[in-house]
Amino acid sequence: MSDASLAGRTAVVTGAGQGVGEGIARSLAAAGANVVVAARRAETGEPAAEAIRDRGHEAVCIVTDVTDRDSMAACVDATVERYGGLEIMVHNAFRGATPHRVEDLDADLWRHNSRTAVWGSYYSAVLAFPHLVGAGRRGRLVLVTSPSGVEGSVNIPAYSPVKAAQRAMAKSLSREWGPHGITVNCIAPVAETPALTTAFAANPVLKERVEARTSLGRIGDPEADIGSVARFLASDDGGYVTGQTIVCDGGSFMGL
Amino acid sequence: MSTTPDAPLAGRVAVVTGTRLALGRGISDALRDAGAAVGEIGDDALATRGDAVAAFAAVAVEHGGPVDIVVHTAMPDVAFEQTPFEQVDDERWGAVWEGAMEGAIHVLQAGYEQMRGRGGRFVFVTPTVSMSGAAGLVPYTTAVEGQRLLAKAAARQWGPEGITVNCLAPAPEHVPIGVESVAVSLAPPALGGPGDVRADLGPIVVFLAGAAGHALTGATLSADGGVWMAP
Repeated sequence: MSDASLAGRTAVVTGAGQGVGEGIARSLAAAGANVVVAARRAETGEPAAEAIRDRGHEAVCIVTDVTDRDSMAACVDATVERYGGLEIMVHNAFRGATPHRVEDLDADLWRHNSRTAVWGSYYSAVLAFPHLVGAGRRGRLVLVTSPSGVEGSVNIPAYSPVKAAQRAMAKSLSREWGPHGITVNCIAPVAETPALTTAFAANPVLKERVEARTSLGRIGDPEADIGSVARFLASDDGGYVTGQTIVCDGGSFMGL
Repeated sequence: MSTTPDAPLAGRVAVVTGTRLALGRGISDALRDAGAAVGEIGDDALATRGDAVAAFAAVAVEHGGPVDIVVHTAMPDVAFEQTPFEQVDDERWGAVWEGAMEGAIHVLQAGYEQMRGRGGRFVFVTPTVSMSGAAGLVPYTTAVEGQRLLAKAAARQWGPEGITVNCLAPAPEHVPIGVESVAVSLAPPALGGPGDVRADLGPIVVFLAGAAGHALTGATLSADGGVWMAP
């Protein structure tokens, strides 16, 4: 699907080398945005950007470590230098954690969850802000969270607080930045991604359970099902939605 | 030791954190009113897992039995300071977010060592602003919501062992963050105000901590005088 709702705007999407981030990057680019594929590894980021360009849209890969302030600052600076501004910041990057027990949660395991999700969100927000505030009420911050950030995860307890933290950030930031016309929202997706494929491979019963609990009976597509929601939130049409978590899971979790 | 309607927590040992502030002190008083033996743990004891385990063990020794009840209200002081988000630096973000989460993790782990194999009750105090959001308080609300979901995850893991983990969400007036309930909802408090910690919130904590609350876990009870009514 192609439209021009984001023509002339620039987006940074973290973790866009694969999965949900790549789907969002493709969708924003298809709507006319200049897209920076911010990926930790060029091996995934460069092909993701190239695939977008092959479709006739604008994208560039900037290798970025979202857990490093200097790296994130360099990404934002390079984006603004190349495209002249930054209207849309999407923080999606997350390095998944392995299952664990609360009683065994140590500093390393905690940092693993906290750094990409929460520090990455903080850097995304605080470094993008000077540009979002100058974006003429078109500034958008989108944080990719998870239904686990609402429900609580029985298998990966450290995952829930870091994903919940993003939701609280979005709520408070939406109140703080509303006067500037900046919206801040979360998307909580369930989608076909390398991470989900790995999880299903390790636990085949999980796939059946997820599909059985999903009203629409299928796992979401990163671009068509999740990217489309990000594109709406980023557009003028989504300009009156802020502080919200949009759960895009095919109708599984309905507790909000 | 048998409990009575007047002393539903008789014979129980409780740990309360955050008693530097009126919120923690009021809950501590309410647990004593209900017959519990209460040990108050200072913030210093939450810095490492080892410190927390030792502090909880000391409470168990002092009161002649393992800890049955843990009420966590402590937050780093810096968390309560209103700061425009663009002025938040890495030091502040780390002190609030990591400080609050490390404390909560250590409290859970130290409490679990006391409750393992015999059951117990955790109550996290998570003011409603984490659910409503508040300008100027991004670090604080982020940290409180992190604690609230950590509690839910622990509730899921430890339920089979008879350990419940719930959250009590008081009105923002009960923490020194400069936010009033009117900021949370357009509607006035249905019960007239945020209530008194010992007299009004206390009985709810006692319920969650006692035998009567055994079938409730992973819940957040908004006890804010009837403002935040979601879900």
